Amino acid sequence: MFPKRFVLKRLLLLVPVLIGVATLVFSILHLSPGDPALTIAGERASQEFVERIRADLGLNDPIWVQYIDFLGNVAQFDFGESYVINRNTSVREVLADTLPVTLELALYGQLFGILFGIPLGVLSAVKQDTITDHATRVGALTGISVPIFWSGPLLILLFAQVLGILPTSGRISSTYNVAAIRVTGMVTIDTLIAGDWEMFRSAVRHMLLPSLVIGVYSMALISRMMRSSMLEVVRQDYMRTARAKGQGAKITVLKHGFRNALIPVVTIIGIQFGGLLGGAVLTETVFAIGGIGTLLVEAIEVGDYPIVQGTVLTFAFLFTLVNLVVDVTYSYLDPRIQQ
Amino acid sequence: MSSRDTNVSRRKFLGAAGGAAVTVGLAGCSGNGDSDGSDGSDGSDGSDGSDGSDGSDGSDGGDETSLLRYGRGSHSPTLDFQNSTSGEVAKVTEQIYDTLINFEPGESTLTDGLASDYSLDGQTASLTLKEGVTFHNGEEFTAQDFVATYRRFVDSEYEYYAGDDYVSAYGPFTLGSWIDEIQVDGDYELTIQLTQTYAPFLRNLAMFAAAVHSEAAIEEYGTDLSENAVGTGPFELDTLDDSNEQVRLAAYDDYWGEGPNVDEVVFVTVGENSTRAQSLGSGELDIIDGLGAQSSQQVDGYDNAELVRTEGINIGYMAFNIAAVEEFQDRRVRQAISHAINTEAIVNEIYSGFATEASQPLPPNVLGHNDDLDPYEYDPEQAQSLLEEAGYGDGFSFELATFQNPRGYNPSPIQTAETVASNLGEIGIDVEINQQSFSPYLEYTAQGRHDACFLGWYTDNADPDNFAYVLLHPQVEESELTEGEDWVSFDAEGYNTSNRSAWANREYMDLVEEAQQTTDESDRVDLYNDAMEVAHDEAPWVYMDYAEELRGVANRVSGFQIAAISGPYLNLVSLE
Repeated sequence: MFPKRFVLKRLLLLVPVLIGVATLVFSILHLSPGDPALTIAGERASQEFVERIRADLGLNDPIWVQYIDFLGNVAQFDFGESYVINRNTSVREVLADTLPVTLELALYGQLFGILFGIPLGVLSAVKQDTITDHATRVGALTGISVPIFWSGPLLILLFAQVLGILPTSGRISSTYNVAAIRVTGMVTIDTLIAGDWEMFRSAVRHMLLPSLVIGVYSMALISRMMRSSMLEVVRQDYMRTARAKGQGAKITVLKHGFRNALIPVVTIIGIQFGGLLGGAVLTETVFAIGGIGTLLVEAIEVGDYPIVQGTVLTFAFLFTLVNLVVDVTYSYLDPRIQQ
Repeated sequence: MSSRDTNVSRRKFLGAAGGAAVTVGLAGCSGNGDSDGSDGSDGSDGSDGSDGSDGSDGSDGGDETSLLRYGRGSHSPTLDFQNSTSGEVAKVTEQIYDTLINFEPGESTLTDGLASDYSLDGQTASLTLKEGVTFHNGEEFTAQDFVATYRRFVDSEYEYYAGDDYVSAYGPFTLGSWIDEIQVDGDYELTIQLTQTYAPFLRNLAMFAAAVHSEAAIEEYGTDLSENAVGTGPFELDTLDDSNEQVRLAAYDDYWGEGPNVDEVVFVTVGENSTRAQSLGSGELDIIDGLGAQSSQQVDGYDNAELVRTEGINIGYMAFNIAAVEEFQDRRVRQAISHAINTEAIVNEIYSGFATEASQPLPPNVLGHNDDLDPYEYDPEQAQSLLEEAGYGDGFSFELATFQNPRGYNPSPIQTAETVASNLGEIGIDVEINQQSFSPYLEYTAQGRHDACFLGWYTDNADPDNFAYVLLHPQVEESELTEGEDWVSFDAEGYNTSNRSAWANREYMDLVEEAQQTTDESDRVDLYNDAMEVAHDEAPWVYMDYAEELRGVANRVSGFQIAAISGPYLNLVSLE
């Protein structure tokens, strides 16, 4: 049974959240110093040229008129045209180019976190207070503490420079023209669709280090969460019952324990996704993967307001959407949540 | 019933989830294993940079096409040079398009481009165009193409005018403000009437923004010329890939000039300087630009590449806002500060020697640079006595505004500002540093709200006028000036805000104006020499440095000519 009412309610809740974010972004940008018209015109422009641009952009309108216009456009997913980075191109188009790049990175990071975080968490719980448990804990804490701008370059140095087995940067070798086979904008998927194994291999090899760097953090969180959730479950009555009826330890843990312990971890996975999007900013910069994170930083630097607004709102939208999916999954796993 | 259903399906879901996790895990492992294994055995994939050790097969990738990979710090999402002032755009459009006149590769002198003959006499420029040049769309290049290009850029009455919010400030700046009328005689004769005698005009024609579109393409694509770029250059556009921040070009076989010697070029974006350098070291890139001191040293250490450097055509300076600070109105104070700042140490220590000390607004390789002038010597004692002479022996204080991000002419602005503050502290001047990010910083200083500020300039056309007039001439009416004062308010009508020092020295202004209208080269040299002497002695700026141009070039690249203006000249490059 699909929880329609619940989903609908949650979807409606998205509206005030997004309006809030939109208002916040709008205010911050309009309160910060810097004249967009001057930014667009560049250092060589005459005063007259700057004035003309200011009028064209409606920057001479009262602030509330600009605000209403902005909200109206946002409601139609229209963030205007880029000022500087990709002049006279709609922000939507720019985002369509860059969003898949970040999503791909975040997905692999998440995959990495799940694939390693869950088994490690279970292992720690089962071997509570042993050397294995302590080792995983130290590993997890290290994973959380090491900043990407440090671990990234170090991994590049090791794998690309010293060992020479992985490429330093980018999403795929520049030999290949992936734009020609673009379908989803995610290189590993596009190359698979095109059935070009050489290209696919290159894409995978390029994605390894960035996914590792970005995934370590969520792996650490997931494994910690999995461990404590597992420990809690192990103490439940039904676990004792299972053991009492003579079931083997492996089956007890995997069949009764693991499934139930997974529920809170799903929440963490969802929340983590937001963190991954944030981490993408750094990872993209270090590995020269030009996604939405790089775009945002660049847009802030050069004062490209429409891009900043579009990017932040997309981030907010994605984050709330993922949380919605998590909540729905959660309620599905544990029907009590809906009530 | 229904709850039971849910129950069952929930179990199934959980079971499936667990199963899937395991399966994907296995697949992931075996996938990794596979690719690792084949990597080891398969060396052909050097293009990936996988085999840093095996640089030789970098470009082959299995087939015969030669691919030149150019790494840079930012992407150029548009390729319409009339819609951008970005140097990154210029790097690509220089490959696709041609200008009527070119810069000699690696020099600041002019040579023929699409025009075989050109001259400027008074207010009239005459050009004879080359015959038999074709655009990438097969159309033959004629004078009409230039006229259409010009009108698309600046003529709002033209049917295909790109629009006020589309064209860049270079429209009026390079062409619009100077051109009164263009006359066409046949297909190959152009006569351009200027609005006034303007000596740098021919150099403006060599700028990337003055390149020539195809008239047929303008009429076909309107403002959509970025992805449909049609030029006469050595390479034609293959793919503009915003998603991967790459631009791919293919050799144009019917190119009229020298080259191209490679089949394909790809511009790759790697934002981090150190990562870009590493990519050169591992054989993933062939040429890289945008190097700082640190990444230059990195490149220097590679066996498979070398650091190529040349004198740049730029200046980094600290401008006194003479209108804002009373003390600065005494030139002895400005000279004292020029003596007190240890520019030699800044250039050698902070900029790691990748720059030279400046002595005047014009860099050495620009016409009119005065070779007799030396940088102000670091001499705190003389500085102190000059201050005392001016009556400020007890010192004073001012605010030094600086941007935070590295710029070519000032790779460590904060550190530089701190050095200046500590140097001036020694002669009793108290400096308060005000740091800002670049875009608001430009606005702040353009409004004259600073006491003193750091800035710099990369030339557009390598003409002395582009420094001397643009950066230090107030460009206001005579009536705005006050007798006996060598400065003017930022609020004066029509004030040129690129002059961040508010300096308005009549002798200098006269010299620079006259030089702007003098077409005879040796006369211009004399005028600028004199103007530079005035600027040096009056010290409206502390002349900091001329930064070098730096490139990292792989050993397999030959024929690369580093250029401080225009370029890169990739048509001359070949791969071994």
